[in-house]
Amino acid sequence: MAAPTNKTGDKPAAEASKEQSQQPQTQQKPATALEEDDEFEDFPVEDWPAEETEAAATAVAGGTGTTTQHLWEESWDDDDTSDDFSAQLREELKKVEASKRR
Amino acid sequence: MAVTTQFLTGVRDILKRLDGEALRDWLKVEPPLPQEYYSLASELKSSYQDDSALEKLVEKSLPEEDDVPEGQGTTWPGFISFIKDYFLYWRDVEFDDLLGAHQLLTALTNSCATALNNPTYGTIMLQSSISLCASLSTLSMTLNKRPDLTRKLAAIHAGDEERKSVIEITAEIMQKFFTTCLTDRSSPRFAQPTGKKVGIYVFANKTLKLLTMNSKSYLAAQLLTNIMAKSPPLSYYPAAQRVTFLYFLGRFHFNHNHFWRAAQCFQEAYSQTPPRFLKHRRIILTYLIPSNFILGRLPSQALLQRPEAQSMAQCYSQLSLAIRKGDYVLYQHTIKQHEGWLRSKGFPLFTTLQWRIRPLLWRSLSRRTFLLTYTPPDDDSRKAAVLKLADLYTTMSYVQKRLEGYLPAQLVPKGRQSSVNSYLLKAVSNSASAGTADSTIAPPPGGPKHLAPDEGLLSGNTAVDDHVVENIVASLIGQDLLHGYIAHSQGAFAIMGTKQKGSAVAAGWPTVSDVIDQRSVESVVPGWVKDE
Repeated sequence: MAAPTNKTGDKPAAEASKEQSQQPQTQQKPATALEEDDEFEDFPVEDWPAEETEAAATAVAGGTGTTTQHLWEESWDDDDTSDDFSAQLREELKKVEASKRR
Repeated sequence: MAVTTQFLTGVRDILKRLDGEALRDWLKVEPPLPQEYYSLASELKSSYQDDSALEKLVEKSLPEEDDVPEGQGTTWPGFISFIKDYFLYWRDVEFDDLLGAHQLLTALTNSCATALNNPTYGTIMLQSSISLCASLSTLSMTLNKRPDLTRKLAAIHAGDEERKSVIEITAEIMQKFFTTCLTDRSSPRFAQPTGKKVGIYVFANKTLKLLTMNSKSYLAAQLLTNIMAKSPPLSYYPAAQRVTFLYFLGRFHFNHNHFWRAAQCFQEAYSQTPPRFLKHRRIILTYLIPSNFILGRLPSQALLQRPEAQSMAQCYSQLSLAIRKGDYVLYQHTIKQHEGWLRSKGFPLFTTLQWRIRPLLWRSLSRRTFLLTYTPPDDDSRKAAVLKLADLYTTMSYVQKRLEGYLPAQLVPKGRQSSVNSYLLKAVSNSASAGTADSTIAPPPGGPKHLAPDEGLLSGNTAVDDHVVENIVASLIGQDLLHGYIAHSQGAFAIMGTKQKGSAVAAGWPTVSDVIDQRSVESVVPGWVKDE
């Protein structure tokens, strides 16, 4: 009986390359078509060096999160009232106010 | 007989060498398979229909040796019954019969769990256990999508006290392996794991995945409690296991409305995953962004422009814009537009976005109303800056009516508008400010839209009134999202601390993420074991 070969390893690598090659073609499709399979699959490799990740870059920057900080906005309040929604609210407030005075 | 005995000789040799990887490769259970396995199956079918004869053969071929030299291994009773079950599997399995194959594989996996439990040699079973559990888990997921078959399975277990789904049964088996690994004593808790401890997160991840993919993540609570009590720190384990665990732990906390905990898990999983794993990063980000929404953190353009954000960028950037502006109409429109996609990410994600973001939208709408109505006094008055509740009533009613399909007056078709009876206009609106005389919007032809509970500003077509406005303001003050108090005599929300903050709007509407961090930050995320 021949020693069987390790069955793991082939499929995920093939899938990874498939996903990469599909990427440019699917760019124009609507969001739903992109994600037929949403399963969080096993990674094709067991481990990778920390240097490949953003976590490492953040640690190098002194653990202050400076490299990933630009990804999130904490002060997002919007003081601009020239947009359509604000204009509609302003008109409504005016009209309601005027109708009260009548 | 040749193939069966040859197979057993091979197993004995592997056991002697204590080579767990070779054992895993030897004990295949699913295609693709070398020809030898088909020969083994047909030989077992033709010569070993009698179970006891099979058992005798295994016992004879795998004798338990007494004096085993250091570094070598031998068989044990749990292993013998496992090999017997392995032969029974190959004798009886028909891959076309999913249900039968599942039952045989379940029995074999259970038997493997018992073999793994052996304190002396059990560790050699670790790789085989991982491989068998992977096969069983895949087969269970396939079976779970076939109600015609699971119904038959339910009939078999009809007499059982507690009826469990195929997923629950499989998850329980995975947990046996998990517990064996967790309670292994070959290395201290806060040290590089050895022996079976190496497998803790492999089996935890398999269990969590099965439960999460089948909307049963609540069943993972005991597993997580056990991890907190006994597991070595997560940082000792390989990156793939760490990321997978943190992702599913994030899903668990998200499903239980612990959004701060969920965000910590997803953020760490995301930043530990290299960009080349695009799909994994996309799935993590799909949940990380909504978790952060609730904590008052919005995704930046830099994040939404990343390749992994492509499928969600439109939906999440519109939701962000709506949160900034307090534009409930845009928010609801976006949810409707992407409803199919959002629902496909699980019921908790959809309902969280539908209901839990509301306080932020109300906050932004009240802030916008303040910006549009407040004029600072000319003199150096000591009077507090105020948002009149009547003005908030106006804007909230406006938003509710827009949700009900009211149109800006200039957009209502002229011919139709004049043909609508003015009494009817009054009748179809619940609001005191109905019609167009005191509003810029008019009811749609055919009357206001009937709204489902989740589609209204409050709930369905429930009209906004003074009581509701005051309730909402009081609730926002209670959550520290507004800073001030309700001055009943003035019918207003009075802002406190304008001088210290430099402006009334900064004082009255503190930064959301600061407020939420103050009440959410914990020193420990349950389930996530960090270094000592």
